Amino acid sequence: MGNFLVWVIWFVAAAACLGTGVAVVSMTNPFYSALSLIGNLASLAVLYLLLSAEFLAAAQVLVYAGAVMVMFLFVVAYLGGRADAPWAGGPRLLRGAAVVAAAALLIEIVVVLGLAWGDQLTDPAEVSGSFGDPAQIGEAFLTDHLLAFEITSIVLLVAAIGGVVLGTTPEKEDEVA
Amino acid sequence: MDSAISAGGWVCLLSPLAGAVAIALAGGRISRRAAAWISVLTTFVAFGGALVVFVGLWAADPSDREHVSTAYTWLSAGNFDVELQILVDTLSSTMMLIVSGVGGLIVWYSVGYMEGDDEERRYFAYMSLFVFSMLLLVQAGNFLLMLVGWGLVGLASYLLIGFWHHKPEAVAAAKKAFVMNAIGDATFALGCVLLIWSTGSLEFGDVFGQVDSLSSTTVNLVALGLLGGAVAKSAQIPLHTWLPDAMEGPTPVSALIHAATMVTAGVYLLVRASPIFEAAPDVQHLAAIIGAITLLVAGVVALVQWDIKRVIAYSTMSQIGYMFLAAGIGAYGYAIFHLMTHAFFKALLFMTAGLVIHHLDGEQDIRKMGGLRSIMPRTHVAFAVGGLALMGIPIFSGFWSKDGIVSAAFASGDALGYTLYVAGLLGALLTGLYTTRLYFAVFRGEPSEFVKEHAHEGHGEGPRSMTIPVGVLTVLATIGGLVVIPGVWEPFLHWIDETAEPLVQATVAEDYGTSAIAVSLALIGFYLARRAYEKGRQFVTNPGIWRVLEHKLYFDEAYDALFYKPAAALSVALRRNVEEPVVERSLDEIGSGTIQVGGEVGRVQSGLLRTYAVAVAFAVCVLVVVFVAVR
Amino acid sequence: MDGPDVGWYLIVAAILFGIGALGVMMRRSPLIVLLSLEIMLNAANLTLVAFARQQGNLDGQIFALAVMAVAAAEVAIGLGLIVAMARRRVPLDVDQASALRG
Repeated sequence: MGNFLVWVIWFVAAAACLGTGVAVVSMTNPFYSALSLIGNLASLAVLYLLLSAEFLAAAQVLVYAGAVMVMFLFVVAYLGGRADAPWAGGPRLLRGAAVVAAAALLIEIVVVLGLAWGDQLTDPAEVSGSFGDPAQIGEAFLTDHLLAFEITSIVLLVAAIGGVVLGTTPEKEDEVA
Repeated sequence: MDSAISAGGWVCLLSPLAGAVAIALAGGRISRRAAAWISVLTTFVAFGGALVVFVGLWAADPSDREHVSTAYTWLSAGNFDVELQILVDTLSSTMMLIVSGVGGLIVWYSVGYMEGDDEERRYFAYMSLFVFSMLLLVQAGNFLLMLVGWGLVGLASYLLIGFWHHKPEAVAAAKKAFVMNAIGDATFALGCVLLIWSTGSLEFGDVFGQVDSLSSTTVNLVALGLLGGAVAKSAQIPLHTWLPDAMEGPTPVSALIHAATMVTAGVYLLVRASPIFEAAPDVQHLAAIIGAITLLVAGVVALVQWDIKRVIAYSTMSQIGYMFLAAGIGAYGYAIFHLMTHAFFKALLFMTAGLVIHHLDGEQDIRKMGGLRSIMPRTHVAFAVGGLALMGIPIFSGFWSKDGIVSAAFASGDALGYTLYVAGLLGALLTGLYTTRLYFAVFRGEPSEFVKEHAHEGHGEGPRSMTIPVGVLTVLATIGGLVVIPGVWEPFLHWIDETAEPLVQATVAEDYGTSAIAVSLALIGFYLARRAYEKGRQFVTNPGIWRVLEHKLYFDEAYDALFYKPAAALSVALRRNVEEPVVERSLDEIGSGTIQVGGEVGRVQSGLLRTYAVAVAFAVCVLVVVFVAVR
Repeated sequence: MDGPDVGWYLIVAAILFGIGALGVMMRRSPLIVLLSLEIMLNAANLTLVAFARQQGNLDGQIFALAVMAVAAAEVAIGLGLIVAMARRRVPLDVDQASALRG
């Protein structure tokens, strides 16, 4: 019974994920695209939960859906109609090549997965109940991966500064038509 | 004793080089006279060294007369070594004496001859360079060093022929001499290469020891290579056309280089490398045949020349033909003996001609001369002595040497020997003819108009620096031959025999019998020429023959048509069809092609963000495959 | 483990990645391109978490957290760029930003 439930939840979350993903890419109205992305992120959070990554699911919702998407929505609101852009366009060769590339990528990954399914993807490891706990993640961050932690903070600092720089008002002469 | 001999050898070799370097470095800081006397002095120092060597060898035991003195190893490659070494034995000591002795006299003579020339210092530097090079050639202990000397004398010859470089004929003659000598240099070098390949060494001792073990093809090729070099250097047919043109140089140069020494280098080579030639008898006989042909052709052409120096030049060619003939049949002693006597009387003839030319303000055409006997009596005597020696009249030096060669030809028997014998005798007749013709045209009869205008009365016949060497050579030309009197004593022949054993030996009866015939022929020539002169005509009257002889049997024209014109045409054709369209335009094409390709490649940079993204996606696809495959 | 094998999660992530790639390559509005980029990043995150679960190793999740932080930073800059473009009246069309043309 439990297993069946997990399968159902998985199926729903996966379908939602992919559906919203398609919606993001194909909608003309950027507002709808942004909203679809929020849905995408939420369904991904569910998948994380199924994979015993509780902290990550929470972070996903808080940071991604909560902060990043809000930023997006602010910008869409500011841009208003100017954010509209027709679907593709551009050289037809380009469109064909894009589809081919994406399809090729997909097929390759699937093939590789198929090849590896038998050996490496069979038995998932046994994990304790506290796998994915915030405490464990915190401990890992502050001991094994301290360097990554610090560098990430610097990256965020740089982004903040960059944002400020980009936000400066242009001087009248620098106006680019 | 040994060290004295070696020291003498090195002093002899290096003294002229020191002189040349000193004059060259001092440049304009020393007076022209000083440069001249440096050159003379160093050459006589070399002669002193040669004397020391000679005396040392003479005093030594006959079995101990070969000294090799090595300075250091010059080049070394694997098993092959070439040392900077000089070889002092009976043959080379004789050559050293001739080169430095006669050379010293001629350099002394040129002090007076070249006085007043603006570029005297350059002249004397070149003369010392030449003496050094010739000494290097005869003293070399291995073939490579000899080749170095060989090339250097060619260079010195080029520099000295073209000494008056504002005269285009002189420059052209210098180039011609150099190019023809270069042909000989090339064959000589190829011969050396073959020697290295087959024997692994270039030292005389090593090579001669191994000659018997080489295949006959190899030995023949080596001998041919060496013969080619000798033919070019000694102006034998077919590489002879440069020698008459070389008379454009100053007369002392003609005396030293083109009579006494450089042109005899070929003969020296034939004698020095006699073991190789004896192992290749066909090539050796070829040398004799070439000598005989040259002897006759040159003698005939000399009959129609109007330039006093050219007559003597053709005479030189003819006499060297005798030496080649001797070396070709194995009479090495006589070949070197004639080399020595020829050096004496030919240098003497050139120098007296120089006195005449000097006295007549540079005129060389014998048609304008005549009657100088009364105006320049001592020159007349000197010239007469030289002429008698040349014709082979006893007791002058030429008599002993030339007749020895002809009788050796008789003694070698068989068809070749007898043919050479006849050629040699004919040569004696021709020699008598052209020498007498020259003598009468220049010195006898009434003084011509030209002479009366130009002769400097009361100036004497020349400065002492010119007359003393002429005097010395006159004496030598008279008595120099007395070191070989067949049947009485033959020290000179025995001396040379120690290095190069002769293959033929004529009997005393054959010697004197041949001499009788030869002298008679020479006297017949004398009478014929005198009769023609008294009748006021030339000996050769047929205009057709005259024209052929005047054009020197059309050798120059033939070479021009066979070699020069096709080469020039080929160069022009290549220039038009290969150089311009292919090489030049291809350079342009490379430039414009690069620009074009750059333009095409630049189109990849479309500036469209999305193309870049697509490109990245494709790259990732490829990389995935690569990673999977590698794993 | 209950539910589908880890491999199925990976397939979902792969398809998501492909969708995101299509979006990046085919849309002309920089805003939508950014959104598609986010999708790709999330697909990678999913892969990381799935493998973390497979191996029992927390490092995958740590990595995913770092990716999230960097993605946030990148979005901030990207949006700043777009706003700057809009303020300077540059048309918001990726095809027209072709100053890199060679």
